[in-house]
Amino acid sequence: MKVNFIALGVVALLLAGHVVAQEPPSPAALKKQAERKPDYSPYPDQKFPTRVFWGDTHHHSSFSVDAGMMGATLNPEASFRFARGEEVVSNSGQRVKLSRPLDFLNVSDHAEFLGLPDLLREADPTLVATPTGKRWYDLMQSGPVGANEAGSDAIFAIQRNEEVIKDAKMTRSMWERVTAIATKYNEPGKFTAFNGFEWTSAPGANNLHRVIIFRDGPDRANQVVPFSAFDSENPANLWKYMANYEQKTGGQILAIPHNGNLSNGRMFALADMLGNPLTRAYAEARSRWEPLMEVTQTKGDGETHPFLSPDDEFANFEKWDFGNMMQPVTPKTKDMLQYEYARSALKTGLKLEATLGVNPYKYGMIGSTDTHTALSSFDEDNFFGKLPINEPSPERWEEGLLFNADKTPAVAGWMIQAAGIAGVWARENTREAIFDAMQRKEVYGSTGPRITVRLFAGWDFQADEVEAPDFAAQGYTRGVPMGGDLKAAPAGKAPTFMVRAMRDPDGGNLDRVQMIKGWLDAKGGVHERIFDVAVSDGRKIGADGRCTTSVGNTVDVPNATYKNTIGDPLLSAYWKDPAFDANQRAFYYLRVIQIPTPRWTAYDQKRYGIKMPANVPMTVADRAYTSPVWYTPAK
Amino acid sequence: MRLLVRRLLGEPLVHFLLLGAALFAAFTWRSEHFETGSKSIVVTQGRIDHLATTFAATWQRAPTQQEMDGLIREYVREEVYVREAMVQGLDREDLIIRRRLQQKLEFVTEDVAAQAEPSNEELQAYLKAHAATFATERRFSFRQVYLNPERHGVNWARDLDRLLADLKQAGAKANFAALGDPIMLDHEFKETSAGDVRNAFGEKFAAALASLSPGQWQGPVESGYGVHVVFLAERTEGRLPPLEDVREAVRREWADARRVEATERFHQALLRPYSVTIETPRAAGRKQEPAGAQQ
Repeated sequence: MKVNFIALGVVALLLAGHVVAQEPPSPAALKKQAERKPDYSPYPDQKFPTRVFWGDTHHHSSFSVDAGMMGATLNPEASFRFARGEEVVSNSGQRVKLSRPLDFLNVSDHAEFLGLPDLLREADPTLVATPTGKRWYDLMQSGPVGANEAGSDAIFAIQRNEEVIKDAKMTRSMWERVTAIATKYNEPGKFTAFNGFEWTSAPGANNLHRVIIFRDGPDRANQVVPFSAFDSENPANLWKYMANYEQKTGGQILAIPHNGNLSNGRMFALADMLGNPLTRAYAEARSRWEPLMEVTQTKGDGETHPFLSPDDEFANFEKWDFGNMMQPVTPKTKDMLQYEYARSALKTGLKLEATLGVNPYKYGMIGSTDTHTALSSFDEDNFFGKLPINEPSPERWEEGLLFNADKTPAVAGWMIQAAGIAGVWARENTREAIFDAMQRKEVYGSTGPRITVRLFAGWDFQADEVEAPDFAAQGYTRGVPMGGDLKAAPAGKAPTFMVRAMRDPDGGNLDRVQMIKGWLDAKGGVHERIFDVAVSDGRKIGADGRCTTSVGNTVDVPNATYKNTIGDPLLSAYWKDPAFDANQRAFYYLRVIQIPTPRWTAYDQKRYGIKMPANVPMTVADRAYTSPVWYTPAK
Repeated sequence: MRLLVRRLLGEPLVHFLLLGAALFAAFTWRSEHFETGSKSIVVTQGRIDHLATTFAATWQRAPTQQEMDGLIREYVREEVYVREAMVQGLDREDLIIRRRLQQKLEFVTEDVAAQAEPSNEELQAYLKAHAATFATERRFSFRQVYLNPERHGVNWARDLDRLLADLKQAGAKANFAALGDPIMLDHEFKETSAGDVRNAFGEKFAAALASLSPGQWQGPVESGYGVHVVFLAERTEGRLPPLEDVREAVRREWADARRVEATERFHQALLRPYSVTIETPRAAGRKQEPAGAQQ
């Protein structure tokens, strides 16, 4: 939680003494600093985050059953090497390298049967001594068809929550392998390799998965083993495990849910996993352990849905909108959607906070890949797919992944989104600094491009400050950054926002920056509204806060090229909420839209000389979503 | 086996340690399992001690006499079965056993590679031989003033010329922070690595910066955002750091290279005495269909 700096004002900036990097100072510390003699130089105290670090928090290697038994041979060694910018040979034997290295990576292999594929490959004696292990081993040795059958068996066992292979020693030794590899590649200041895993709970194939990240090294992380859905499918028990970890080791840990769009209305619901109405204790635990949600990834974008946001012309974007992960899928109904998407969850959170006293859905937002190839790829022109079978090939666009009851594909390869990536505002590239930024939600998600975006909210920002050189210093001193809280509006004041965005230096220009507001009215109804706050090319924003002129489109689909002759490289805005009511709970987040560029399917068409049917999209307006700022009225 | 070992002994490429390990493996193998024809089973004192130790490791106490008798009985039973199974050739077509044997020998190689602690000299030599991997990046200290093309319209060329002229005249003392258009990047960068420059300004700018001569304002330098007028104060070439600064990274890369190399060398040495004939090329396996979904 961000301390409210307003009262301290500029004085704090000039007089403050040593402020610990990444941690907002306590009021007592600030008071102490204020008593010190002022320094002449204003810079020693500029301890606020200065740059964005980019990474992937959700990533699977051959250590995950649904990767390693489905053709992935690259283990986390390759994961880290690739993320650090080295060239590697992909699972299908193709040379691949990122356009630019990432700054951090959390390898989050599934806790369920962790490392099983590699143990099978190694003919681990304990494993092949079990009947199931022996059966899977034989299948894997018999060729691709058998290997696929073994993989499906293992995946279905996880879905049915049947721990058909259980060996504590095996789990421990795999976990120690995982943390040893992270240790090897973690280089403070240069590259952060997190210890982490994925808890893969999906009762009835309704996705409740969470990615887990440790702030700590192996000294602490090795005191536990990953908590799996076999231990419990109930998130409440995951939170208990997390609390126990912190208590036992003095370390820190957080969880990030993903793919509400595959939960059939379960991810951000009004009831807990067992169907009980939510309680204050539930809300406290959820908000304590889950500061962030993954809003965008390969399995579709989860910001909002056209049904939920009919006035949002950008809502129909990279949707996976059919049902859950059952094979065949259990179709979804419209009434489930409100409990699946980020914007709607943020609104539900306001409503629940009013009744429970705590907001269980107070989520910051990041993007990540959820790759199952040990290759974090998200650039449209360098996309290596989600599963090993989606690595570049002339056929990958039509591969069926999930099927409907009538055997038609619910998901075909072309529906995979080349996304996403997590942007983190921090001062240095260390586990601690990046984890702390996630914890305070000063992070955002992008569907691929490394767009820089900064947001400050306060009560007295002025329009001419937005582009001033001390913009960030003023932002932190008199307001809060993304992920922060505004409380108890001063009489007659409405929140003011300073907004700046900058395109990916090697990417497409920006179309527009939008402020998305959600609020709870006096009668308990929730609402949302979009304001265009900055638009490119001198277009006009109307009195209703919208710009209805499209930015245009320069994409040459057959050649898979585009031009930056439209859009702007930089956009900035000062915005004051024109419809603020100090008695209403609200949230505000930014959405930055890039101009249309060729989608990965267009690059495939061009590079393989193939033609896809007309229903396959060939252009994409990539985008970034910031964590919100919340406003809470005084009691 | 004996022939193979003799060949290996004559193979100078095989690392001494690997050979030792292989010999050890071969010896253990021979003494324990190869005399399948013999009808005599001797449970040695060494074997009995081993059984007792294994028991103690699991149960945290020594076995009783009764338990010891049971362990020996089980061992004899296992031994008889293993020998008879091998006599009948049951081991030969078993995929698990074949793969396991291969892996056992591979692990020996890998273990040797992993356990060998490199000397300072070895690391030093590796560092030198892979200078490009470990050299520090080239660093730049520079100032930049940005012009946003969107803000100048038809006056673009004129404004750029003016800015360039003003800055050139003022030289190193120019009040550059007050000039140009706002951008979310600092006016001054100190000792910034080429990679960080690229991340901040993009490919084009980073390439251009590398070719600027220091000590004067120059431009326009293009970036993803527009153009910049740049004063390059200093360029520090990348250098090979002393081993102490990069010991961990060198050790990691050395061990990795060593493992790959040792495995390959061992494989080649083992393969050499064999002639391999492939009768028909194997048909390419059908692409696998995904059946499960978890993700």
